[in-house]
Amino acid sequence: MSMVTTQAGEIGIEIAEVIRDTMAKATSGANVATYIEKDSPVGWGMLGEAGWDLIGVVEDEDSAALRDLVEVALAWGNTLIQLPLIPSLLAKRHSAAALEHDGPVTFSLNSASTPDGVGYVPFAQTEGIAVLDALGSEGKILEVSDVVADDYAPSLNGGRVNFVSSVSDDAARELRVLWAAEAAGVAKRSVADAVEFTKQRNQFNKPVATFQAVKHHLANAHISAQFAETAAIWASLEPEKATLAVDQSFRDSLNAIQLATQTYGGLGFTWEMGVHFSLRHVTMLRDLVAAVK
Amino acid sequence: MSESTETKARRDEFAEAARVWLEENVSQRWREHRGALEEDEIDEIRHEWDRILHRGGYAGLSLPKEYGGQGLSVVEEVIFSELAGRAQAPDGLARIGRILTAPTLVSIGTEYQRATYLPRILNGDEIWCQGFSEPDAGSDLAGVKSQAKKVEGGYLINGRKIWTSFARQAHRCLFLAQSDPEAPRYKNLTLFLMDMHQDGITISPIKQSSGLSHFAEVTFENVFVADEDVVLGEGQGWKAAMTVLQNERGGVEAAARYVEIRADLDLLQKSIGALPEYQLELEKLDARVELIRWQVMKSLAVIDDDVEYTRATSVLKVYWSDLWKEIAELGLATADARNIDHWRFMYLETRAASVYSGTNEIQRNIISERVLGMPR
Repeated sequence: MSMVTTQAGEIGIEIAEVIRDTMAKATSGANVATYIEKDSPVGWGMLGEAGWDLIGVVEDEDSAALRDLVEVALAWGNTLIQLPLIPSLLAKRHSAAALEHDGPVTFSLNSASTPDGVGYVPFAQTEGIAVLDALGSEGKILEVSDVVADDYAPSLNGGRVNFVSSVSDDAARELRVLWAAEAAGVAKRSVADAVEFTKQRNQFNKPVATFQAVKHHLANAHISAQFAETAAIWASLEPEKATLAVDQSFRDSLNAIQLATQTYGGLGFTWEMGVHFSLRHVTMLRDLVAAVK
Repeated sequence: MSESTETKARRDEFAEAARVWLEENVSQRWREHRGALEEDEIDEIRHEWDRILHRGGYAGLSLPKEYGGQGLSVVEEVIFSELAGRAQAPDGLARIGRILTAPTLVSIGTEYQRATYLPRILNGDEIWCQGFSEPDAGSDLAGVKSQAKKVEGGYLINGRKIWTSFARQAHRCLFLAQSDPEAPRYKNLTLFLMDMHQDGITISPIKQSSGLSHFAEVTFENVFVADEDVVLGEGQGWKAAMTVLQNERGGVEAAARYVEIRADLDLLQKSIGALPEYQLELEKLDARVELIRWQVMKSLAVIDDDVEYTRATSVLKVYWSDLWKEIAELGLATADARNIDHWRFMYLETRAASVYSGTNEIQRNIISERVLGMPR
């Protein structure tokens, strides 16, 4: 086996750890449903001040590689907080105009859910966000008005506008990989949440986590989440296989979340339990990935 | 944290040397005509391969040097396993000894056991089999009923084992028996190192649905094992068996399987790859097959972190076995006159993949209980 170093570099590992710690404290382990349709439990200011949106900027050979950003996106997906970290750091990595802007940045993509000429803008509803006309070296920031809210995935806080940003090939590939990693992070979180839920939820006088049917759903969900993560790492390290790996990563992430959802029984399809926010987030990311294929 | 450039260079060097060595040492007769060889010749070539491995310095790669190993790591084991698969190297007959008995003796054997058995296992002279499963104790390993009765200087063993690979050729057996029928479950077992060349042992090959006979059923009547051949002490058999099984599951096997599964998918791509209706399915299978080796590499990167390593390796067995079955199903469903024999064989042969090495149901129990922490 020609061994490939699959681990992220120090920069990726360190920032991912800080994200996990900081966000766990900020949300105090609360159910996503308690904050996802309200103000974010953490403001953009904290992310901006910490410089997390600048970690992808390429300055020298020690700058973060795509594999490092995958580590960050995995950790970020695990938090499921409605802040535009991934679009911003990718925009600032690829666009000088985005880098000059002191605040979050996003772009508009024509996804399967939008008609021709109309774009879905992730985090369009986030206060103070700038929108690029092109994700790449030529991009500039546009004045955007008439944003129509799109609330399918509250964690992406998106909206529709009447233009579509162009995306360079490099940026498109990296964006697909990072969103796959983010989705894998969401999948891992979903499995962990479902395990906790099934340990607490009693039926037939015992926790449903003791039933083999439930255990095997979550074992399968764990397998899928593991491979979703591995596929995102593969996509970051072998660019010519990125499309293949990203598509597989999304299939595995969704499979994990769907299996986890089943273990909530009836609560899994209630609005207030909030399991659906993960499904909404990942299926929307999958549409966006298809939009930049 | 990240692998140093020096380590990577050393591993690349190891891989290149192993590749060249394999190219020079795998016989052409085996590579090109193994399908047409008689059973005796197959056995002879496979046993000679055990000795060739030792002479080449490739036996016991990850065992400590003080015990005759090469003092390398599981990473080198995995590298070699994949390269051996690619070079179509034979599967040595002394495999159970090398991958199960040897690491078990290194971690929980006595000095006598290490000194007596490790050299013979590593130089390929001694073939071992594994006597764990019984007709009524498959997945429920703690339910073994073979009896070990204490006698002067050792134990007399009576019982029946099933699914025993290499029984016909084995010199010794890692044998699990009930040594105290009165003791509670998990505390009533003992693991023995049994001499297979003695009276009272009857071996009956089991013909599998594919037509092959990988396994045998073996009966034991008053078979003696000496006190010094007890592993870890009387009543410690469950713990000892778990040590053995820890060596059974994981990256090294997955790396070898990857090569076989890749070859099957390549064959499938050759036969139906040009048909548009199969494009998407083949693309998905391609990604999943490649993910086996990426998952192995990801696991090896966290080998020093027990929790993360278990999280990453526990998923391999279920993943590759289900995938292999699926590929064989598609192969058979789309077979033509040129490849029908292969796919009929593989279809039936892979039915066993989700059962051997711990059924996939047991694997899922392990994942849910030991990895995810769900209650029993």
